[in-house]
Amino acid sequence: MKKQTKRICFLILCCVSLAFALCACDQGKESSGDETLPLKVNNVDELTGSKIGVQLGTTGDIYVSDYEGDDAGTIIERYNKGNDAVQALKQDKIDAVVIDEEPAKAFVSANPELVILDEEFADEFYAICVSKDNPELTASINSALATLTENGTLDRIKKNYTGTDTEKGQLPYEKKDVERPNGKLVVATNAQFPPYEYYQDGKIVGLDIDMMQAVCDELGMELAIEDMEFDSIINAVQSGKADVGAAGMTVTEDRLKNIDFTDSYTNAKQVILVKDPNTLVQKLSLTEKLEQNFVTEGRWKYIAKGLGNTLIITIFAALIGIVLGFFVAIVRSWHDKNGDLNILNFICKLYLTVIRGTPAMVQLLIIYYVIFASVNVNKIVAAVIAFGINSGAYVAEIVRSGIMSIDNGQFEAGRSLGLNFTQTMKSIILPQAFKNVLPALANEFIVLIKETSISGYIGLADLTKGGDIIRSITYEPLFPLLAVAIVYLVIVMFLSAGVSKLERRLASSDRK
Amino acid sequence: MTENNTDNPILIKVSDLRKSFGEVNVLNGIDTTFRKGDVVAIIGPSGCGKSTFLRSLNLLEVPTSGTVEFEGVNITDKSVDINKMREKIGMVFQQFNLFPNMTVKENIMLAPVKLGKLSKEEASAKADELLARVGLPDKADEYPNMLSGGQKQRIAIARSLAMQPDIMLFDEPTSALDPEMVGEVLSLMKQLAEDGMTMIIVTHEMGFAREVSNRVMFICDGVIAEENDPQTFFNEPKNPRLKDFLSKVL
Repeated sequence: MKKQTKRICFLILCCVSLAFALCACDQGKESSGDETLPLKVNNVDELTGSKIGVQLGTTGDIYVSDYEGDDAGTIIERYNKGNDAVQALKQDKIDAVVIDEEPAKAFVSANPELVILDEEFADEFYAICVSKDNPELTASINSALATLTENGTLDRIKKNYTGTDTEKGQLPYEKKDVERPNGKLVVATNAQFPPYEYYQDGKIVGLDIDMMQAVCDELGMELAIEDMEFDSIINAVQSGKADVGAAGMTVTEDRLKNIDFTDSYTNAKQVILVKDPNTLVQKLSLTEKLEQNFVTEGRWKYIAKGLGNTLIITIFAALIGIVLGFFVAIVRSWHDKNGDLNILNFICKLYLTVIRGTPAMVQLLIIYYVIFASVNVNKIVAAVIAFGINSGAYVAEIVRSGIMSIDNGQFEAGRSLGLNFTQTMKSIILPQAFKNVLPALANEFIVLIKETSISGYIGLADLTKGGDIIRSITYEPLFPLLAVAIVYLVIVMFLSAGVSKLERRLASSDRK
Repeated sequence: MTENNTDNPILIKVSDLRKSFGEVNVLNGIDTTFRKGDVVAIIGPSGCGKSTFLRSLNLLEVPTSGTVEFEGVNITDKSVDINKMREKIGMVFQQFNLFPNMTVKENIMLAPVKLGKLSKEEASAKADELLARVGLPDKADEYPNMLSGGQKQRIAIARSLAMQPDIMLFDEPTSALDPEMVGEVLSLMKQLAEDGMTMIIVTHEMGFAREVSNRVMFICDGVIAEENDPQTFFNEPKNPRLKDFLSKVL
């Protein structure tokens, strides 16, 4: 174990030196010449033929899609988060980002090398989306919004986030101390969209959040925020996972076909964000960067919490996978040896085909948004079930290959002594098979740990998502990603070490 | 050893036993009985159905037609709990088939304990007694991989004896052994026979068949071609195939 610890320390050291090296590269890239470099895109017309970044499913995406496939060779890059698009812009991977005005302002204030073009791209209105099955809720939110507009609350909330510099932050909305007899209002949002919704001090805050709190105070309801990908919000509201969606969402024709909107609570613009190559960026030193990414506001906690969730999901999914896998493997071996259990064997084969033939992410989304659509299921439980069912299929085939690797004479010896099929399997075949497939099983669980990183797609704050949240706050991809990578690496190394130990112990009967 | 057992109760009665693997007919109608105390050697050319016949007696091979009655129960009947029957029918394999992940003693104790025949303590005592009987008392805690072939087969016999079977089936028990190890296994089997164990042995050891058995059976082309006491069988063979076979192996 001591050796293992040493190895891990060495590896972390390597990673940190790598980080230093990458930082140094970063520093060396500063622009040097005196002449003023032109912007890549100066107005709406120049978008034609350029590389445009947008956030998937936003109105920006809808508008720029008209440019796609034109003769000028315009390329649209769709990112899951506005922040990812901005990072790509900073790294010159794209020429411009079309995005809502307020988030654009927030990005510019955090990244001085970015500028917003004066020419607006489009005008639009934000509203709260509600399921078409729930017109009563739409009506009551509308009346709450009317009251809040009338008494000036909504205006104060807006000023607090999007007002002048003197107004900003001066008018925080205080949650009212009222009776809440009308249950919980689950609000789906995508907390990567400052100032409407974003993470601060480990909590989701923003204009939409304060407004929803005010609405809940009016309606006598308890507010619950669900963070998820932007393009999942409408699905979540449709399927009942969330009651409403509030995420700086623009009313569009297409969206109206699937969902109802309340009255608009604010108007907004789509603007074009570009990088000014002439701005000299003040580079942070390595320690400043580390501090900014992990120490400020206790940001390391996003990773720590995410790690906890990742471990919980992996451990329980692995347990389900083992139970399910062994069961399926035994059913299939029974069928092969005894020739009966045809129906069960068929079901098992179907299960293997479907699960191994479709991506884990699609399975996760189907389980959360379709199978558990009407049930308010905990996300971690949904992820555990999805990954457990997924892993079970792979474990089943691994175990079956292990059973087949055992000489039939072992089976006959057990049966000839009077043991039945199950006793023979349990006492004689499976212990030997398990030993033979241990490396393959360990491999499956290593894959499983890393596969859980797609949990973010149902808005689950796992390890990868933890890094993403930090990234969305600091606009700094290197350290959060590196930290997340190191944590995965260390978990896998500990797992591998544990497995080697187990292998050595099981090998005791091989000594000659 | 050639005393007549015709007054003893019948243990196994085989009637018109047939077995085919797809198109290939391996057993073509076998009728015979084995009585308590019988030591029957089955000989014959390779691939003639000896092993298939033996393995049909505890249903490791399921016969295509015909019946096998064990102690009056038709074990080919699907409603019979075959596992209960197998507890009384010991089997020793050519390849020993010891469980490599268990110690010698665990190998012996497994079935009696799992099947509730003996408590752990009783099984442990029984294992010690059997290990002494097969002459390997010092190997209790070793794993099968550390043993020689002869030792492995003696342990396999001990494992089978632990269930206190009424009859034991031996499927070419010495064929996988180096020549110098054949003796130790045969002498153990001889000792078992002298203690009165009912045994059916598929073997190529003619000397052993002649010396230990009270009946020798020649199986050829899926039928019992000749069957007699060892003296007559070896000295006055009648079937031309048997004559030919004996001239090659003796």
